[in-house]
Amino acid sequence: MVSAGMFSEEKLRDIASIADEYNYAFIKAALNFGFLTRKEYVAFLEKENYPLIDVRNEEIDEYLLEQCDLHHMNSFLYIPLRRDGSGTLLVAAADPLDEKLIAGLTVKFNCRIRMLGASDLDITWLAHTKRGIFFVKEAVFSLMRRDPESSGIITFTDGQLAVIFGLTILFFVALGFSFINTSVVTNLFLSLTFLFAILFKLYLALKGSMSELHDSVTKDEIRAVDDSTLPVYTILLPVYKEDKLIRKLIWNLRSLDYPRGKLDVKLLIEEDDDKTLNAVRALDFPANFEVIVVPYHMPKTKPKACNYGIYFCRGKYLTIYDAEDIPDSDQLKKVVVLFRKLPDEFIVLQGALNYFNKNENLLTRMFTLEYSYWFDYMLTGLQSLDVPIPLGGTSNHFKLDKLVELGAWDPFNVTEDADLGVRVFEKLYKVGVVNSTTLEEANNEPFNWIRQRSRWIKGYMQTFLVHMRNPRKLIRRIGWRGFFGFNFFIGGTAVTFLLYPVLLLFFIVFIIFDIKAVRALFPDWVLYISIFNFIAGNVLMVYINMLAVFKRRYYELILFAAVNPVYWLMHSIAAYKGLWQLIYKPFYWEKTNHGLTKVSHSSTAATVAGNT
Amino acid sequence: MVLYYVCITWIVHRSGYEHTESLFYAEKLKLLFEAKQNQLVILGTTFPSMVFLSNLIFIPLGYLFAPVAASILVMSILYYFILRNHLSTKLPMNIYVPMVTALFMFHPGMVFAAVSGRSIAMVLLFFYLVYRSFFNYYRSQTTFYLSLSSIYLACLIFSNYNFIWLLIAFFPFIVLVSLEGIKVSKDQPPVLQYHEALNNRSLRRKLANRTAAIYIIIFLLPLGAIYLFRTLNQAHAGNPEYFLSSQYSNWAITGLKAIDNLLVDAKGTILTKQTQIVYHFFILLLTPLFIVALVLYKGKIYELMTILSPFILLSVLLIANRFYLSVEYLLIFLMLAMLILIYYAGKTDHSVRRMRVMIFIGIILSNIGGFYYFSKTNDVEEKDFYEALLKGGAFKEDRALSEQKQIAQFIQDVTDGGGKVMIDDAAAYGIVAHLESLNNILLPFQPSFVTVVENPTLSVNYMCIAKRENRLHNFTVLNAYNIEQMRRRIGLNLLVMFETPNWVLYKISN
Repeated sequence: MVSAGMFSEEKLRDIASIADEYNYAFIKAALNFGFLTRKEYVAFLEKENYPLIDVRNEEIDEYLLEQCDLHHMNSFLYIPLRRDGSGTLLVAAADPLDEKLIAGLTVKFNCRIRMLGASDLDITWLAHTKRGIFFVKEAVFSLMRRDPESSGIITFTDGQLAVIFGLTILFFVALGFSFINTSVVTNLFLSLTFLFAILFKLYLALKGSMSELHDSVTKDEIRAVDDSTLPVYTILLPVYKEDKLIRKLIWNLRSLDYPRGKLDVKLLIEEDDDKTLNAVRALDFPANFEVIVVPYHMPKTKPKACNYGIYFCRGKYLTIYDAEDIPDSDQLKKVVVLFRKLPDEFIVLQGALNYFNKNENLLTRMFTLEYSYWFDYMLTGLQSLDVPIPLGGTSNHFKLDKLVELGAWDPFNVTEDADLGVRVFEKLYKVGVVNSTTLEEANNEPFNWIRQRSRWIKGYMQTFLVHMRNPRKLIRRIGWRGFFGFNFFIGGTAVTFLLYPVLLLFFIVFIIFDIKAVRALFPDWVLYISIFNFIAGNVLMVYINMLAVFKRRYYELILFAAVNPVYWLMHSIAAYKGLWQLIYKPFYWEKTNHGLTKVSHSSTAATVAGNT
Repeated sequence: MVLYYVCITWIVHRSGYEHTESLFYAEKLKLLFEAKQNQLVILGTTFPSMVFLSNLIFIPLGYLFAPVAASILVMSILYYFILRNHLSTKLPMNIYVPMVTALFMFHPGMVFAAVSGRSIAMVLLFFYLVYRSFFNYYRSQTTFYLSLSSIYLACLIFSNYNFIWLLIAFFPFIVLVSLEGIKVSKDQPPVLQYHEALNNRSLRRKLANRTAAIYIIIFLLPLGAIYLFRTLNQAHAGNPEYFLSSQYSNWAITGLKAIDNLLVDAKGTILTKQTQIVYHFFILLLTPLFIVALVLYKGKIYELMTILSPFILLSVLLIANRFYLSVEYLLIFLMLAMLILIYYAGKTDHSVRRMRVMIFIGIILSNIGGFYYFSKTNDVEEKDFYEALLKGGAFKEDRALSEQKQIAQFIQDVTDGGGKVMIDDAAAYGIVAHLESLNNILLPFQPSFVTVVENPTLSVNYMCIAKRENRLHNFTVLNAYNIEQMRRRIGLNLLVMFETPNWVLYKISN
């Protein structure tokens, strides 16, 4: 390759060093760490008389395949096909010239080996689909087997169903005995729950806003980091039919300030997702990630893919990004520095999420307002109160060994990240917040938004049900403060959205139509509380949203916070959809379409970089 | 500090001193817990709410003492907050602690704020916190302090509604503050920075957005809280301005001293100085500590404008000046002086020795200014306090009974004997506050009051009437004028049972 002018001596040494560190084939290191494009390599092989075969359509001897370890095939990019008539073993390999591999296979199979050139992606696909079944089953059922209490495979336990039906019957019996009194008490209870949830959020926001007073990691600390001391860092990129985002993804990864050889990036592609696989194949510049193909298995969810990916990770730390994410360039270094500073019990750090297409339309503006307050204030507030933190979908950074110890993500939970955050706390570990932002693509289409949000709210309900199976035990583990925090933040979020339109409707009917029957539900003191709730609740929510975008210096968004009550109604629609799905399709993963934005993120990224 | 204030309270109250605002809250507390009607209106519309709500905590100490206990505690908290700010100041502790302590112990205005049970303590506390949040914001440029200033501002307005005019006073400096977040040449004067920002489309848009954003964040909570309170008043009292306009829910309606009345009394000389510009300079004269603080000040132009913003408040209040501006408008400048000294004094080139001398003189003169103010005040109740304070030795004598207490004791004897008494607490709240029990008392919140007031002979035996000399004569239906009308209209036969300079208790003998 050197003589062919593909690499300089220096690059060659770099690739060899990476290959040694990861125990990869040379070609794998070259293709996955940004040294070589696949097109160049194919051209080189053809020149060397190794035209690529279509390995996925080759006849394969399963017996031979079973003798090979998936990890070894994945690392050295080969797959034994069959023996030919002369007893020679045909092996498809990404690097048919790899003498070390040939020697190893010769010893292993004790026969002559004939190497055939094949695409590394096809080999990976074939190896994983044929030999990854064990791992994918582990990815799905491991948590359920090891820690059944934490698994969401059962949505409602018998006890929970008994409580729900018992309360429902009690409610209707009480209505039968005294309709007005029961309605008034219910009205009051709902109003107070709503008010308390909002006051709690305001308190959290104020606590969280105090975090502005100091940076958990300063720029000086980042500058002082010695690159040679940095550990290998795994980045998981679960994708499904995201072919249009692959190019963006590579550019975003390239902007990360972390030594190239220490970034173990895994692009997790589903078995049936040829679109994304072909997009990777068609790249005309070097990729800086390794493709892992997740074999087919239900449920087809992101946590399952991530769990599968874990079996192939090499890093000390691990994070997840979505394909369209633009993390701050120094995010990984910040995480390493912060992990070094924090006590060992901190095993996860959550970065802030925000949007690069914030000004695209009203929905993206509202989304930005919401995310700004959620990640900048709520999570830091929860951290300062030492109560469970529901992790965000991406940019959560784990200590890999601890993640494995916890049983990783629950593939049956559609907000596996929030669930994991609570589980971390339950197992007496801690979640921290790192002062670094990842820009994502905000959902800019209302129906797509409702799909996504219904999944999130359903996931919160699932998480609530899973961890409330035995409230007494939960209190013992996380204490009363954690218990109330969990109830109001995880349970309260869903309940608030479900209640909002009901209370709003009652209130509007009362104010505008003054219907007698409704008036009976509002004795003076209930009316007082309801008015207080309605105005104070809405004003406070608007206010909290304003604070967060002010911190972000998105001044132009401030006034849009006034539309928050309408945005809440959209939440309510999503909440009812989520509730319906929780009952009928609890594991169904509402896929959110990405790549709908027409906004380029480069200018936004520059702005954010300037601001942080 | 709490013990000190409790001692002073004991001394001044032994000479019969009681502030009407304190009695107003005491009466509302009594109605809230002892009358079984209309509690929601009392709790939900009594204004200023922050003060009234703080009084609720001290109910176990008695209705009469609760407002005083609350103001003592609030002043002590303020003292604690200011002392705790030593972390932010570069002033040496041997200057800082004596300075703060001397002010809180010996300035008659500060003592008055603590022991009178008025809303002043709460006003001072929140005023201090609002401005402290601003200064903290200037130092850290964090939203946290901006939101705190908004919350404290809402609390300040709900401690004294006049402070809503601070919203106008804040306008000028916010325009300048917003420049801080804009990327312009910071080494140039603000005017040139503005020139630069306004002549660049992107910066101009950002500047406008940032200015609007700061305004909204500061003003939203106070305005939202007012809107909420108005709605609650509309729903429960039938009038959105009930908390501002009704003598049953707001002491200020009957308690603030109208200038017309004060001119008639012609006691004191401060009132004549309460005009534009003159009063500003007069306040500077009475608070030399503020002048010292300005001398020691070194900061940016918008910080200076923040410091001067209360003068704009004064100007706005003086524009339609119908009421005497009592001592809280003087004390807020002392609070501001403390803040300037805390945040800016250590930055200047003055030596510690010089600062010590200047601050020492400032404190002495400010305390003297306080005594001067009270000696010349036109507010009758401030004057009474001053006299009670100066008569410190009177605690050796028998406890003096206030006028309200005397008449309340008589009414109590009457009601204990089975007599029914009609009282209008619009003006007679001080008397109601002193009653041991509300049995056999007919008050306006009771539905039958309206009927009874038309023909008292059928339902009550006694009526407590405000005499023509009573300052609150015009605020109550049970006044000398209306009694005269009743006599004519229904031939009411009345016997004077007990009389004080302002009140008379009649027995209906029809």
